[in-house]
Amino acid sequence: MGGRKKTLLGMAALMLLTAPLAGKSWAGDGPGTVELGSLANHYSAVTFDHAMHTGVAASCAECHHHTTGVAPTDPNCARCHEAGATAGSVACKSCHSDNRFSAADLAKIEGSPQLFHKGKPGLKGAYHRKCLGCHTTMGGPTGCQDCHTRNDKGDAFFNSGKYAPAPTASGGHGGGH
Amino acid sequence: MKMLNRRSFLKGGLAGGAAIAAVGTSKQALAGTQSFGGYPDSMGVLVDLTKCVGCRTCEAACNKEQGLPEPDKPFDDPSVFDERREGGLPRRTSEKAYTVVQKYDVPGREHPLFRKVQCNHCNEPACLTSCFVNAYRKTPEGAVMYDPTVCVGCRTCMVACPFYIPAYSYSSATNPVVKKCIMCYETRLKFGRPPACVEACPQEVMTFGKRKDLLKLAHQRISEKPEAYVDHVYGETEVGGTAWLYMSDVPFDQIGYDTHLGTQPIINYVKEFLAIVPMVLTIWPALFTGFHLLSNRKDAAKNEQNNS
Amino acid sequence: MNSLKSQGFAPVVSDLKKDGSEWTVKEKIMLGLSPKEYMAVQLRNPFNWVLWAIYAVGLPILVGRFIFGLGWVTHSSYDYPWGLFLGWGLFTMVPLSASGFMMGTTVELFGRKDFKPIERLGLLNGLLGYLFAVMFLQVDLGQPWRLIYPMFVSLGPAAVLFLVAWHVATYLSCQVAELVPAFGEWMGFPRAKKFIKSIVLGLTIAGIILSTLHQGALGALFTYAPGKVHPLWYSSPFQWLHFFVSAVFAGLSMLIVVSTFTKWFMRWRCDENYLGNLSKLTLGLAKGASLALITYLVIKIIGIAHDNNWQYLLSGWGAWFLFEMVVGVILPLVFYTTAVRNGNASLARLGAFMAVFGLALNRLNTALIAFNWKLYQELPHWRELVIVITVYATYIVVYRAVLARMPILYTWKEKK
Repeated sequence: MGGRKKTLLGMAALMLLTAPLAGKSWAGDGPGTVELGSLANHYSAVTFDHAMHTGVAASCAECHHHTTGVAPTDPNCARCHEAGATAGSVACKSCHSDNRFSAADLAKIEGSPQLFHKGKPGLKGAYHRKCLGCHTTMGGPTGCQDCHTRNDKGDAFFNSGKYAPAPTASGGHGGGH
Repeated sequence: MKMLNRRSFLKGGLAGGAAIAAVGTSKQALAGTQSFGGYPDSMGVLVDLTKCVGCRTCEAACNKEQGLPEPDKPFDDPSVFDERREGGLPRRTSEKAYTVVQKYDVPGREHPLFRKVQCNHCNEPACLTSCFVNAYRKTPEGAVMYDPTVCVGCRTCMVACPFYIPAYSYSSATNPVVKKCIMCYETRLKFGRPPACVEACPQEVMTFGKRKDLLKLAHQRISEKPEAYVDHVYGETEVGGTAWLYMSDVPFDQIGYDTHLGTQPIINYVKEFLAIVPMVLTIWPALFTGFHLLSNRKDAAKNEQNNS
Repeated sequence: MNSLKSQGFAPVVSDLKKDGSEWTVKEKIMLGLSPKEYMAVQLRNPFNWVLWAIYAVGLPILVGRFIFGLGWVTHSSYDYPWGLFLGWGLFTMVPLSASGFMMGTTVELFGRKDFKPIERLGLLNGLLGYLFAVMFLQVDLGQPWRLIYPMFVSLGPAAVLFLVAWHVATYLSCQVAELVPAFGEWMGFPRAKKFIKSIVLGLTIAGIILSTLHQGALGALFTYAPGKVHPLWYSSPFQWLHFFVSAVFAGLSMLIVVSTFTKWFMRWRCDENYLGNLSKLTLGLAKGASLALITYLVIKIIGIAHDNNWQYLLSGWGAWFLFEMVVGVILPLVFYTTAVRNGNASLARLGAFMAVFGLALNRLNTALIAFNWKLYQELPHWRELVIVITVYATYIVVYRAVLARMPILYTWKEKK
């Protein structure tokens, strides 16, 4: 539990985005590692071992949906998305907004009555749901700082570390009384 | 017919709320009980409880955004989930926390379920309708706002809130006020931005948007994955509808939600009384003056006789 | 004082002393005793020792409430925002003070002049009850200095409490006006009495309207919490009626209780007109109260039937509810009717004590005990209880002080 919560926390703020080319090293069909840092705020960037994960995942579609030309594994997606051409960009941030609920983002959705994926998660949500979801079922690390270390700003945000509240005699009953 | 409904309702094993729901049905007959239903383009938040991992980042974000006091424990400390207040109940909103995450160990569910609690921002808020100094208002954007400068501190809003949300700063002797989530209205919602908790959530448990769109989205999500959700969006109809909506894979009554609240806004239960007020004000004076004249008729007659 | 009177002491009953000179106000305040005698009387009374003990403990705590805030004297509960201050001080004291409008109506409106000897006690019981209900409210409000906000600063006219605030405020002024004659006689302002007499019918009718509405409104306040109050104590359509009708028998019963206390402990202050008529009047009040009690019993049953809450009677809450109904409603009803039939005033007095107890139990049940019945029970903080006792003791002190002086229990002898 502690681990998972921590993990989550981590995410909380942060993270990642496929980074500039400079951060990538290529191996085989994809980059060897990817620096996910465009959302970094309370946590440092994540160095994502893409090569390792390609070895673990059953299919590119596990993470990349239909964009890599492989048929998606979710039958619900397969109704429309078939195996085919590779998308122009397969980076997460190409489709997942890094400012999900901004007025512009909401207006774009509202202005597209034909849009099916109205509930498509933003970038941060996409990362965490995908990573944590899989890590939970596969037994991967789920603590926040297992993937990205929290910085000083993050410690302050969470009132943790050197910013932790002094323990009180009452221990904090959380209200109600 | 009405009685029948009522009876079957109760037989269904519903507890206290059943009475309420039943009473509500008898009320439709009264004129002027149409509920307000909410502003057409008001915003809301759809909370998908199945996605929450209990990281409490939302609590930290709320604390910073609203400038709330330092918490008793760090926001990454999971031990708060095991804290119990009176009645064995989990943590609730307080004067130091406008939102809290609760943990429910549901039998048969692999992982615990986490539930985020904060003001639900009702379409027709009980706190607002019960306030005798008009300290509350519902903005067209959907937030239920509170004005601490006129609050007398009667705490009727806390009695009226069916969700037990408003807290009170009892600790202050000179300026105690109600403390509750205002959907970050002043700093964010007003400018079209989502509340701080929504934005901070790493799992994007919460979806921010127009309430009517969120309802469509919720039902679409349920119909796409019927096995993943209970077929109910909590807040769609409860007490006349709330801006915050919830989806869950566990029946709501097992994770601390009151499922007996009925679909009527709380004010509808008060209207039976409010309806008699003008009647008493207009009929009583004539009625009792009449009584007075009648009961003194003998005296008057006697006086006349004596005089003659 | 009773023993003093048996030794030949004659209390103030008119503007003039035995020797024909006028009492000064100061002498009137001292009950016509010399300062030394007055102090001696005060010290001799064991009830005063109890009061001093209460104040020794209670006053500092009462002051502390305003220095350290409500959090210091209550549990600061978010789930039980209302505690004893309102549960007892407002929801119980207001119905027990319904005697004011009841006696006004009986005497002035229905012309039952035979109730005249007890009318002023009824009015005073009403005035002081309301006054101290407001005191309790002031202790409970988070920001008592904003009491007038609902009147003049920020109005929320659609709220039930708005109605309560306005009606209690206007009704208080009504009751003050109704008691001006007693004060005028005592102070020697006969004109005040004449003026009030000219408007007494209007005052009385205003009293009925305001009382009907705010007694009912106190009940309607709980219709804001339909899921929180146990169904046996909750009825959306009937809550206001339950509160109003129970206020009728409660006000009359409280009047019997208070008159019984005056008969026991303040006999020295009562005149023949009062004492001689008291048994007869007690039975008259008992008759009125029993009519209200039977009405209340019937509408309580209708309330249960309307919402089909019969099943709850079999639960533990049902047993508690039945206890309230039997001890607080049915037994007083039996005692009252038997007393009226047999002309037994003592039995009526027993019934009155039980009816008052029943009313208090009903209000505490609705506001505190059966409130949040799905959550947990909360016992009040001891400081909260101490403050309630202290304020209530003050109510008794003021009550006694007025009775001892103004012509409530006796008739003022006008100057010829």
